[in-house]
Amino acid sequence: MRRKIAYPLATLGMVASSLAVASSPALAHGYVSSPPSRQAQCAAGAVANCGAIQFEPQSAEAPKGSKQCNGGVAAFPELNNDSLPWRATNVGKSATFNWVLTARHRTATWVYYVDGNPIATFDDKNAIPSATVSHTVDLSRFSGRKTVLAVWNIGDTPMAFYNCVDVNIGGSGGGSATPTAPPATAAPTTPPATTPTTAPTTAPTTAAPTATAAPTGTVPATGTAWAPGVAYKINDVVTYEGVSYKCRQAHQSIRSWEPGIWTLALWLPL
Amino acid sequence: MKRRVAAVLALAAAPLLLGACGTAVDKPAPPSNTATQADVKNVAEITAGSTFNDTDVMFLQMLIDNLEQGQEMARTAAKRATRPQVAELAKAVQVTQADEIKLMKSWLAEWDKPATLDERISLHADHGGMPSTGDKEIASLTTVKKAQFETAFLNLFLAHQHNAVEFAQLELDKGGNELARSFAERVKQSRTDQVQQMLKLLAG
Repeated sequence: MRRKIAYPLATLGMVASSLAVASSPALAHGYVSSPPSRQAQCAAGAVANCGAIQFEPQSAEAPKGSKQCNGGVAAFPELNNDSLPWRATNVGKSATFNWVLTARHRTATWVYYVDGNPIATFDDKNAIPSATVSHTVDLSRFSGRKTVLAVWNIGDTPMAFYNCVDVNIGGSGGGSATPTAPPATAAPTTPPATTPTTAPTTAPTTAAPTATAAPTGTVPATGTAWAPGVAYKINDVVTYEGVSYKCRQAHQSIRSWEPGIWTLALWLPL
Repeated sequence: MKRRVAAVLALAAAPLLLGACGTAVDKPAPPSNTATQADVKNVAEITAGSTFNDTDVMFLQMLIDNLEQGQEMARTAAKRATRPQVAELAKAVQVTQADEIKLMKSWLAEWDKPATLDERISLHADHGGMPSTGDKEIASLTTVKKAQFETAFLNLFLAHQHNAVEFAQLELDKGGNELARSFAERVKQSRTDQVQQMLKLLAG
């Protein structure tokens, strides 16, 4: 009898928690990734001192009708700050804006503004956006550095998502501006301590991938200290916390991909 | 049957245990020395311990679903990407996430919980949003023209990894199991840094 009561209670617990899940990240929905919007440059680490937006570039959500880069969201004042070193992407007579959508909302319109005036509107007629969203916008009336305001107007809520995209119209043939130096990545944290005591079983099987050309920095064949932001190739040897490891899958290292028990697919202990 | 009852009771008791979290009910083992870590050959050997709440369970279930979709996207990218850096990132994501799936499934098995979500869509329906990457969006990666592939993949996978960060944040806010929480921190870091890489790849 007690069992029968316990089940519904547990089920209620799950429902409550799924509602909590639904409400918590509800504010995070989309941004322009390329040409990089200001929030994309923050999330990429290309511009420092961005505040909270760097962790959630998809969250510049505010009621419809704003002409500000942050849509009026007080938590993201950096987006409105024209004196931050925003990179202006060189574009030709037109530019194609690509969106990252972290949740697909029914969409009224996508509107692009320059100098406060709408220059292009794409009417989605309240449909769910397709797999990839990109819009080619005619910019031939303008030249030089401009800030394009790109707005995603949601169809079934009063809200919109705001992005400023800095472009240099007619600037040297549409190529990219000089890339900025890679940002310093924070030192990796030590992996959570666990001491499994069972005997090791067979190593995870990962097919040996073919080596591809390393795009950036090279690594000596004998162990240097592991670091984030390095392009490691297969058979590169690194040391981490006193242990040597051999790279088994070429990759650009990032935080939490340091050698250890969590990353045996990348690093073979020697 | 007995085991199942025990799991249900544990779940019902979870709020109480959560309240006692500060008293280190479920403290993981003290830091291991690296030699021991180097001996471990399979992440599935890592056990999570018996203290957990329903956020821990939901986090693992949602992330397994996210990662299984991610495996499909990364597999496609490893084949179709034009630039070696994109293919390489996809392969590295594939092998690391394969281990993460093993790890999470072994924890859910340890807790006697299913490894699958009942419904993916219902989690988001309440606030009007569809998930960023449904079956249709993932399938589109196999049909999009080669010239548009990288842009399509990177934008979809950016959203996908942002979603994983959102799940991890939920676990960090409300999860009860210490190991699941430290795993969530790793997920948050690795995806945040993958986002950086992908945005740079998109910007050319």
